Amino acid sequence: MSPGNGFRVDGAEVVFLNRDSLLDAMLRAGLHPTGGGCLCCAGDCPHCLATVDGVGYVRTCQVRAASEMSVSRDHQGGSYPPLSLDTPPLTPDSTGGPVRYLHCDVVVIGQGETGRAAAAEAEAQGKSVLALDVTEEAEVIGIYPGPLVVARSPAGMLHVEPGEIVVATGAAEIQPVAPGSDLSGIFTRRAAARLAAAGVELGRVVAIGEPPTGLQCEVVEGTLVRFEGEGSVSAVVVATAGGAQRSYSCAAVSVALGFQPRDVLARMANGIGGSLRVRVIGEAAKPADVPACPQEGIVCPCSQVSVAHLDAVWDRGFREMELVKRATLAGTGTCQGGVCIPYLRSFLADRGAELQSPFTARPLAKQRTLGEIAAGAYYHATPRTALDAEHRRLGAQMERSGGWFRPWRYADPAEECHAVREAVSICDVSTLGKMRVSGPDALELLERLYPTPVSTLKPGRSRYALLLDEKGYVLDDGLICRDERADGPPRYRLTFTSGGSTLAELWMRDWAESWGLDVRLMNQTMSLGAINVTGPMAAELLFRAGTQTLPSFGGHGVSRVAGVSCRIFRLSFTGELSYELHHAAGDSVALWRRLLELGDDLGCRPHGLDALLRLRLEKGHILVGQDTDFDSTPRRIAHEWAVKLDKGDFVGRLSVLRTNRIPLDRQLVGLEMESPAPIEGAVIWHEGEFAGYVTSSTDSPALGRAVMLGWVATVDGDATLPAEVTIADRPARRVATPFYDREGQRARVVVETPAPTASAVAAGRGRSNATSLPRLEEVGDGSFCRVSLSRVVATQAAISELAEVFAGEAVCLRVAADEILVDAPVSAEQVSDPHALVERESGFAAARFAVETAADLLRATCEWCLPESRPAFAQGSVADLPVKLWLEESHVFFLVPEPFALELEQRLGEARS
Amino acid sequence: MNPYMERKVELRWCEPKQSYDVVIIGGGGHGLATAYYLATRHGITNVAVLERSYVGSGNSGRNTTVIRANYGIPEAVRFYQRSLDLYQRLEDETDRDLMHMSKGVLWLAHSEMGVRQERARAEINQAFGAKTDFVTPEEVKKLCPPIDLSGGGVWPVMGGTYHSEGATARHDRVVWAFAEGAMREGAHVHQRVEVTGLTRVGDRVTGVETNAGPISAGVVLSAVGGHVTRIADMAGLRIPIRTHQLQAFVTNHYQLQFDPIVSSSDLLFYVSQTARGEMLMGAEIDRQPSYSYQSGHPFLRATAFRAMTLLPFLRDLRVLRQWTGVCDMSPDYSPVLGKTGVEGFYISTGWGTWGFKAIPASGEQLAQLIATGETPPLIAPFALDRFRRDRTLADRGSAGTH
Repeated sequence: MSPGNGFRVDGAEVVFLNRDSLLDAMLRAGLHPTGGGCLCCAGDCPHCLATVDGVGYVRTCQVRAASEMSVSRDHQGGSYPPLSLDTPPLTPDSTGGPVRYLHCDVVVIGQGETGRAAAAEAEAQGKSVLALDVTEEAEVIGIYPGPLVVARSPAGMLHVEPGEIVVATGAAEIQPVAPGSDLSGIFTRRAAARLAAAGVELGRVVAIGEPPTGLQCEVVEGTLVRFEGEGSVSAVVVATAGGAQRSYSCAAVSVALGFQPRDVLARMANGIGGSLRVRVIGEAAKPADVPACPQEGIVCPCSQVSVAHLDAVWDRGFREMELVKRATLAGTGTCQGGVCIPYLRSFLADRGAELQSPFTARPLAKQRTLGEIAAGAYYHATPRTALDAEHRRLGAQMERSGGWFRPWRYADPAEECHAVREAVSICDVSTLGKMRVSGPDALELLERLYPTPVSTLKPGRSRYALLLDEKGYVLDDGLICRDERADGPPRYRLTFTSGGSTLAELWMRDWAESWGLDVRLMNQTMSLGAINVTGPMAAELLFRAGTQTLPSFGGHGVSRVAGVSCRIFRLSFTGELSYELHHAAGDSVALWRRLLELGDDLGCRPHGLDALLRLRLEKGHILVGQDTDFDSTPRRIAHEWAVKLDKGDFVGRLSVLRTNRIPLDRQLVGLEMESPAPIEGAVIWHEGEFAGYVTSSTDSPALGRAVMLGWVATVDGDATLPAEVTIADRPARRVATPFYDREGQRARVVVETPAPTASAVAAGRGRSNATSLPRLEEVGDGSFCRVSLSRVVATQAAISELAEVFAGEAVCLRVAADEILVDAPVSAEQVSDPHALVERESGFAAARFAVETAADLLRATCEWCLPESRPAFAQGSVADLPVKLWLEESHVFFLVPEPFALELEQRLGEARS
Repeated sequence: MNPYMERKVELRWCEPKQSYDVVIIGGGGHGLATAYYLATRHGITNVAVLERSYVGSGNSGRNTTVIRANYGIPEAVRFYQRSLDLYQRLEDETDRDLMHMSKGVLWLAHSEMGVRQERARAEINQAFGAKTDFVTPEEVKKLCPPIDLSGGGVWPVMGGTYHSEGATARHDRVVWAFAEGAMREGAHVHQRVEVTGLTRVGDRVTGVETNAGPISAGVVLSAVGGHVTRIADMAGLRIPIRTHQLQAFVTNHYQLQFDPIVSSSDLLFYVSQTARGEMLMGAEIDRQPSYSYQSGHPFLRATAFRAMTLLPFLRDLRVLRQWTGVCDMSPDYSPVLGKTGVEGFYISTGWGTWGFKAIPASGEQLAQLIATGETPPLIAPFALDRFRRDRTLADRGSAGTH
């Protein structure tokens, strides 16, 4: 052995030798980490704890000494370390550190002789085996349902999903409980042997029970009575079989008192039950030795619980293992009962004549920091629209809203409102839920889902609708739009609130399946961009952009705007003349920029969510989620006009009929008062009683006063609503909505199509502004870009046929039984299902990675097992994002909905570094 | 010697009788508090509390011990403020150290919508007697200096509310104080007695079947957590409750340096330091209904990450232990308590993630109901028939996670 470098203990240099643990070196220097207590040198006891490099509760016996380490003895005498509250903050790309996801047939925990034999045997049977060995600093922190074995290794955290778990963790030596057990110089038998082998000078050693190997010592007969000494042990007293006590002077004591299986992981795994295959072998599987009931001394060193304390709570009625634990806190410290459980059991058996089970084994079996445990964690990802970078470039304050990043305001929201009311403005409404429905039963499905009649909707027209749940409560709202074509079964486009599209899709698929209806559903929320052009000069702007035809109010149709193919919906949320332009998300940026350019001299500027919420409030339009709660019936939100109870059955109808017979308790009403507007959430009082609260509130520049929506309780148990209420100690009046432009003339203004000007013709017919996107096969290595695909939803048979047609020609991703993405143009004629939905899809971004790089990335980001054949398609969560993988022999394509592409690229970048 | 040792409480056990005036199913905080208030407020002591395991073994011993009243609807603010007030007096009343500490609850917002929600919370709290104020990021920093206002550069703190009377108490001590108080007056508490059925005569519940034999009762109250649907089923009732897991974890013990309870609705976690010095963290319920007590790693990892985002010092603390409780969730996130429509059978459930803070008020009010037969006004809105009457108490936003 040659001298190594030194590390620092409380500022002083301590020299260590090769292969020393921190504890070995500290003991050699005469420094007991905690000041005293029987050391085990096996990670089982709490007596060698110290703060190492800023992390408290480190077992110094388990850490290989290295230079530059800094040790603080914060745990001396059982004291708690301080919190270091000035840790530097996380950065946006912080994670807990690297993690690897592994899959194997057998994981063997503990690599003693038994564990090694079990691993070798499994390998001989041709199984894939992973051995987690504590001596190589792999510590299993928990076994969870799955099964999932989580371990910490020097290379980072490991998440292992095995077919079978073998627990070969051995046994811990039982610690002594006797007066003086908190002195230094006391060691378990194995610890004494280990320290002697490491060259630590222990002085004159007395051995109680079996003596340690490789060490000169005096072996004494009898049972342990007490340790004596000041700070460190100077004598040990034992009682002989005859009862006589005898003292032996010494500098160190080795105790051999039997074994307690290290069965925390075994108990944890067995607690999971089910089909989990767990084998506990070797020492870990042996029954625990039950020591003699302790007479005196500390039983639980972590919580400083003595035999006297146990008796005190026993005498006062705490007689169950768990109650004794909770009353004394024995077993709740850092060794989680490792030291005290044998003695608690023998104590309770002695007093109550019943051997009770140890308490429940819970993770963590070995403690690690939050930072280590967080490895591989991500924040919930917030998707970004195709215009996200445009908004940021324009200086917008971005807000997470409805699950998306949205521009809250660009500058002054009042000016944004002004542009809408007086000129023209554009707003990114790409976050709207957007769904297509076709199929023989499309009409039947919508008729059963919506409380408004759908069959009367004419081609090319749209209608506002609520979506109700079975209880008759409002789930969402949006539009039902019927496609223009008049022949064949009708097809529809539906919109939902920004936050509502995922639930709406699940809702529709669930009901369609429950009812056995033959429909095709395509959620296009992330595929289509949407820009609302609104304001008195909205039509002017669109004509400038070369639009030939604009739909009338309530209608929709396809037209080219600034060279981009758009479906234009004429409707209004702001109260002004509005056209909502739905287009392929890949064209959003070109369209947005062109509209701003063309509208510059008209005063066109974008408006954010803040302005939009004010504008719609002036019109009295509700915002589902803000103005509604989850028990809002149509009657409560004064939307009975949107429910036709005589149209036939629909989801929620019976509940609406039932609740309509119950007296109305409160209603969402329009309110107005002098400015300033009260806060949203302000309490509404009526004659000194609580009447409700404000849900939406704004000062209206157009009206010169504050306008609000709010809940107001009915009076006297009938449907009467108070006309006057008090808000923020000021009077307010209930008024009919809309507040602004009550007749709706501004939104419904008739627009004449002008004769096209030369420049407009140029803008419309000139070069296409449609962005040209690469195919999947054309994307470059490593960086994500938006790709152009074909997306088809059709019958399973039609999708299978299509896949065969394109097999070998183009990459085909069968993302669902009834849906496929094809990396080539597909026309409707190529699909045998007449109801098929066939679309150009620009909603995905893709990147190609060489197979080795991909394997590395996936080991660090993908928790599930990949298919082994090539080529293969797989989809699931990668780096906590919805990813599709196309795996070929030499490379792998990663596809992700483009709104998550930036996030995925960052996360993969972190995984790679 | 540790100062956290229980030194005063004395639990007196006895053999079950065959008949009681009142039988309470469930020896957790709610059941024991009801027995305590029946005995101390109404002189009703011929009462048995039946616990299938040991007292406080369910959610009463698994919760994260937060006491607060910063709810979002008047009915809840009033009720929880009553409970908070009773908690403040409980140590004096029982002469037991409950380790009750007023420390304040800081509820953080990271978006314009979150700020709006917190302003609304302060408004409704003040209107109904709970001490909650809107606070700016600068005030947040003053109240809790370790908070990184930039939220790791991802979740900036844009404001919040401070609920100054928010507190914690040691859950086991509360359970034992109520148990001891009830026992001292003559009520019985029986451990390891499991109810296997309800005895009924006509439409009336007249007692319980147990693993220790039948016990007749004038009134039966179900105060169980996690398995209330099974008990209700025995009474022929279908109740709108789903049971979900709720998990939590603690770090090792550190010196007491962290004051308030910090909570974030957007990041979905909360943290406090226990009286013993552990940093205690929890999050939201698992979405999938379950009766299982199995802890999961996804919860631990995600919560650890979110917590250290706002409180970077947590990164270097070692996690000691994680565990799981099961929560009875009602459709409107408000409790269900009182009469059931079945004679002789009362219920206390729907305590979701907020049962601990309700223990004294729920015990007090149910005791009054049992003693008088009349539902007290404070809990009348929480009656089971509110779902039939379309008078639900939607309080999703403020029910929160703890």
